[in-house]
Amino acid sequence: MTDLELWRRAWCLATGLLVPLLALVSPGWLQLSATGPAWAVLWLLPWALIDGPWSGALVGAALALLLDALHPGAVSQLPALALLGWWWGRLGRRSVVMERSLSLGLLALVGALVLGGSVLLQLWFRGEWPLSGLQVLWAQTLLTALLAPLVCSLWLLIWRQQLPGVR
Amino acid sequence: MQAGRGFRVSPLRLLLTGWPWIVLGLLLVAVRLSKGAGFSDAYALLSRPFWPGSAQSDWLRSAQRLDQQSRLRQLEADNVRLRQLLALQQRGGDLLPAPVIARPAMGWWQQLVLGKGAWQGVHSGDVVLAPGGLLGRIASATPSTSVVQLLTDSGSRVGVWVPRTGEHGLLVGLGTERPALRFLDRDIRVRPGDLVTTSPASTLLPPNLTVGVVQRLDEQVMPAPEALVQLSAPVAAVDWVQVRSRPPGSQP
Repeated sequence: MTDLELWRRAWCLATGLLVPLLALVSPGWLQLSATGPAWAVLWLLPWALIDGPWSGALVGAALALLLDALHPGAVSQLPALALLGWWWGRLGRRSVVMERSLSLGLLALVGALVLGGSVLLQLWFRGEWPLSGLQVLWAQTLLTALLAPLVCSLWLLIWRQQLPGVR
Repeated sequence: MQAGRGFRVSPLRLLLTGWPWIVLGLLLVAVRLSKGAGFSDAYALLSRPFWPGSAQSDWLRSAQRLDQQSRLRQLEADNVRLRQLLALQQRGGDLLPAPVIARPAMGWWQQLVLGKGAWQGVHSGDVVLAPGGLLGRIASATPSTSVVQLLTDSGSRVGVWVPRTGEHGLLVGLGTERPALRFLDRDIRVRPGDLVTTSPASTLLPPNLTVGVVQRLDEQVMPAPEALVQLSAPVAAVDWVQVRSRPPGSQP
């Protein structure tokens, strides 16, 4: 790998910093019952599909650390995101079929369900079950799945152009 | 008998000459029967230029406001003095205005991000006020930003009381717009519409801050009744908040 490729790779990875920023901005027109999409899923899915299980798990964990810093409380998204990154990385290694729009949408749907479910489970264990929990989970899952074909395929396209080496 | 003949007039003639008087009489009867309709209206129309204008009610209202404000200030000063005598907790330090720079709609967490942090003197645990009352507490502070955990967050637990009846309770966030007020006693006299404020004996929060109004009371909940509280500070409309820093020497 040459220096230029390393630089480009670093730049592509740096786009992950957009995820916490987008979570903070949370534009009102992209909300469903005051819930935004799971931006982490929308970024991690294409990255893991391109870069494999180990990179997916590590980057997912790093992303989760950034996101956990943004909210009060001890609930963590780390296990769910690391697991999802690893799983999607394995799927990406296996076949290219996964990158069709419908597959991207379904994968993002499952990812948002797992991520929200892990948060809800932790809140339940801590005795802080939110009354609107299931509604939030459902709204976020729907929104993420609907956005995934657009956003994820766009990321895939950009990263493929920038990193000619990847599959 | 003859002398009176000259004065006798026929009824028809009387009607012809005296009709204006008859009409006037009927008019007066109509005014009487209608309790002054027409007459009072005419009076109102004529006297309108001399009515008390809006300026006068404005004067009265501003005088009333001035009176209330000065009384409030005096009572607060008095309150501080009495609290000092009783060695109770003080009302806290300075009020620091801070802009709301983000409302991350994570769904799970009800929080705000403020544009002032540790460099400006905001610390974890400080109380955040908005026009209308208590909003929440600072959950964490970075050098130039801080995160407010709203009272509606499902992890928020704040001790409050109902001043009318003097009953204490725990304000528990439910993740929805209205937090629940869990009372400590089984028998309570709280009614919907009662004001909820922070407790005067609280050590974590400044005393007597407005929190909200009891909206619904559920007495069937065990072990003690539970109420839904409508918060008085409009979270969705707030752009600037005030952070009340802790008085020195009272760490949580």
